[in-house]
Amino acid sequence: MTGDLGANAGRAPVVSAPLVSARGLVKSYGSGRAARRVLDEVDLDVAPGELLAVVGRSGSGKSTLLHLLGGLDRADAGSITVNGVRIESLSQAGLTELRRHQVGFVFQSFHLLPELSGFENVILPGRLAGDGTRAAARARSLIESLELGEAAARLPDTLSGGEQQRLAIARALVNDPALVLADEPTGNLDAESAAIVLGLLRRIAAGPRAVVLVTHDVEATALADRVIELRDGRPA
Amino acid sequence: MTSLLRISLARLRRRRARALLAAGGIAAAAAMLGAATTVAYSLGTGFDRAADRAGLPDAIAQFDEAPVDDVRPRVLALPNVREVSFRLEDGGVEVFSEGNYTRHAKVQGVREGRRGYAIVAGRDVRARGEVVLERGLEREWGVRLGDTVGLHEFRSDATLRVVGVAVTPDSVAFPLANGPRLYAHYEDVRDFMGERPGAVNIALVWVQNPALLDVTLAQARVASFGIAELRFVTREGIRSLIGQAAGIVIALLVAFSLVAVGAAVVMLAASAAADVQRRLASIGVLRTLGATPRAVAAGYALEAALVALPAGALGLAAGALAVGTPTERLLEALNELGPGIAIAWPLLGCLVGLVAIVAVTAAWPAWRAASRPPVETLAGADVVHVPGRARLGRGTLVSPTLRLGVRLALSRPARTAATIAVLAAAASVVLLILALAALLQRLESDPETVGKRYRLAVTAPAGAAAEIGRLPGVAGAAARYEVAAADSFALGESFTVVGFDGDHTRFEAPPLASGRRLDGEAEVEVGLGLAQALNLSPGATLAVQLPSGREVRYRVSGVVRALENEGRIAYVGAMRLRRAEPFLTPRIAVLLERGATKDSVAAELRAAGFFAEPVGGVTVQNGGFLDVLAALLRSLAGVIGLVCLYVLVQTLALTAQERRRAVAVLQTIGAARSQVAAVLAGSAFLVAAFGALAGIVLERLVVGPAASGLAASYVSLPLLAGARDAAIVTLGLAVLGLLAAAWVARTAVRRPIVAGLRED
Repeated sequence: MTGDLGANAGRAPVVSAPLVSARGLVKSYGSGRAARRVLDEVDLDVAPGELLAVVGRSGSGKSTLLHLLGGLDRADAGSITVNGVRIESLSQAGLTELRRHQVGFVFQSFHLLPELSGFENVILPGRLAGDGTRAAARARSLIESLELGEAAARLPDTLSGGEQQRLAIARALVNDPALVLADEPTGNLDAESAAIVLGLLRRIAAGPRAVVLVTHDVEATALADRVIELRDGRPA
Repeated sequence: MTSLLRISLARLRRRRARALLAAGGIAAAAAMLGAATTVAYSLGTGFDRAADRAGLPDAIAQFDEAPVDDVRPRVLALPNVREVSFRLEDGGVEVFSEGNYTRHAKVQGVREGRRGYAIVAGRDVRARGEVVLERGLEREWGVRLGDTVGLHEFRSDATLRVVGVAVTPDSVAFPLANGPRLYAHYEDVRDFMGERPGAVNIALVWVQNPALLDVTLAQARVASFGIAELRFVTREGIRSLIGQAAGIVIALLVAFSLVAVGAAVVMLAASAAADVQRRLASIGVLRTLGATPRAVAAGYALEAALVALPAGALGLAAGALAVGTPTERLLEALNELGPGIAIAWPLLGCLVGLVAIVAVTAAWPAWRAASRPPVETLAGADVVHVPGRARLGRGTLVSPTLRLGVRLALSRPARTAATIAVLAAAASVVLLILALAALLQRLESDPETVGKRYRLAVTAPAGAAAEIGRLPGVAGAAARYEVAAADSFALGESFTVVGFDGDHTRFEAPPLASGRRLDGEAEVEVGLGLAQALNLSPGATLAVQLPSGREVRYRVSGVVRALENEGRIAYVGAMRLRRAEPFLTPRIAVLLERGATKDSVAAELRAAGFFAEPVGGVTVQNGGFLDVLAALLRSLAGVIGLVCLYVLVQTLALTAQERRRAVAVLQTIGAARSQVAAVLAGSAFLVAAFGALAGIVLERLVVGPAASGLAASYVSLPLLAGARDAAIVTLGLAVLGLLAAAWVARTAVRRPIVAGLRED
């Protein structure tokens, strides 16, 4: 069984070797009688250039799937390959490398560090990777293209939600990752800002890069190349 | 109320790890407190304890050998006398045992009556052929009960069997004292000395009312006709005598202990305040549910007390044990006794005080938080203050992770300030220890510290001074006379009189505290210690009672800050002193020319037929004694170091806990463990750097001068740490910060990233 249950109408199907390939993913929380299987034998492929939307009710396992794909958490069973790297066998250091170079994250709550300015937040992954000079150039370019010139100089708590999320997207892209994982990126935004953010995600899902988007937003699913729905830990 | 207490207990049970962390902090502070209390109590009460146990007499009279039947009625006829016993002492005896040898021993023949020493092992002398050794000799030579000790003097020899070990606090112990003391049967010593039957030369006097001892001693002088070389030493005088060897050191350690207790209190207060700050949300919830601020505060006080009681007890015990052995060794060196089980009382008092402080410091911020509107408390729990960026450098020289750590620390300014305060207090104490160690070294080896400008002393007639003064490398030489004396109006107040031929300030010049230098034979400069004891000031009269029985009166011209003999010293011209004490033997003080060395001048003196001795500082001459002090100081410094480490770990652990989401975000965007540690190290470096800086300032402006003043009001002690010490402390704190950051980061990155991301 595959996760490709239905492509979004109006989008050309992507035909390419998958950037992300997950097979038989299982993840449970709790133990004994309180144990709950959040993901149950999930298979999934994401192709380069694809914007995949994952939908489902609360507790259906959407965010858990995203965490497993990004190496934030480990699956109980199954395998995941990202850009040719099998991640279930990676050490903690290996997972750090994966998150540093292959994956970019965008969260509902933005998760910008409040002590750092917009620019410093954007450039931080580059500096952590020891690539400060190139990252600085790329950060400036991203800030310019995302029209965040003024916001970049300010602290996050003085910015609007839309500005913060665009900075978070810039941060996710600064190391030029192959995969961007976005968890409810429009959940805390007004309609106008949400539209801008979704447009951005649509734009960055191009070339060798793919975007996996967990969302409740109908607008978001409309922009996606493909949509899968999770129900009780399984693709519906 | 009961339900709130139940909540506190439940919270304690459920948050075991955090309770353990808090307990660790309390235990560390308690260890510091326990160490300080043990040192302070043991040293502060050591003399009185040993004196009481030994039944030390109120006065000891020494005189030339006289028949006991002549002396006893005179003493018993004195007013206020309760009891008296007599001894015959022989000095400069050669003693050997177990391959060891000394030629400076004093052997005392004890008669019936009170002894004035405490038996700490074996038993007292009961029959001829038996001897009791002082504890210092037993420890130094490893002599055991049942061993034999050989005595030799001129044509006499004796072999005695060791039956007991004694402590007498009327002098410091061998080898700190030049020679050991042995107590033998009276008849053995009399035979050994070849004295007539009944001859004695020491009377131990116990009086009814020690406050009237002066009257008794004055009467004794009057009634001493026919008894030669009568000298008195009082119990207070002995205390002063012991002080010559180590009084300053003891006082400094007691002063240090007081500072350490203060540091412990600051740390506990900071720890408790940080703990309540972390729990603002739950306080808000309790208030929302209808709890009164008093009930909330009581719950926190109880919870804190439940943690503090076992942790405090454990810490106090650990601190006391850590310094117990070196303190015991120090007391032994001073011929004093350890407190034994009696130390439990002050430690128990500390425990009660500690638990009370922890409870109050936990309850106070909880009460303040609970007194705010609940909605404010609830909101306040999640607010992270973000510092203005203008306050922080944006240079590229500092790693971005370190910079981020600095900003994390600054987002909690109150806690950061409290942590800096604790580290500053600890740093200032460590600096004080280092300054103290340096001072000890200087006191022992550098005569300049005690105001002596001459470097060599030669035992020779006064007439040799001119010849010595002409030798190459010698800038000047003068005869120096020294004699023990007492105040004519207060015979219990003993002091040292120093007389120089010519201007004494060329050779020995403690700084003037008031008045002027002496001008002529009728004037005297007195040390501040003596001035305080006798209420002397410039213009007053000092009546000096000399050993010969003669009295000489001087007008006080000035008061000097002399360190020697605890400031109980008087500088006079030599001419009048020699007239009053014609048989005084001088030593020639030798001043070196600039560029001349002690060795080269000593060689010149040897070539001219003089034997020169180097001049040291105070009377602490024994390397072993300093080793004991060093061990004690190291133990205390070790405890303080652990406290600093704990404070840093706790601060960083709180930061990592509160900023769990930030740590998770860092990991999400690719931060390795070392980089998380670097962030925490940034926080640690901030508090360590400012803590060290504040500690240095505190030591220079407050702690050093305060400790110096507490140690000796009669002298100015240079207790300020140098640049090297400051660098050591700063580096030490930085290393502790790195250790703490590595430790906390190790724990922080083990937590699931996903859980951290969900935290709000």
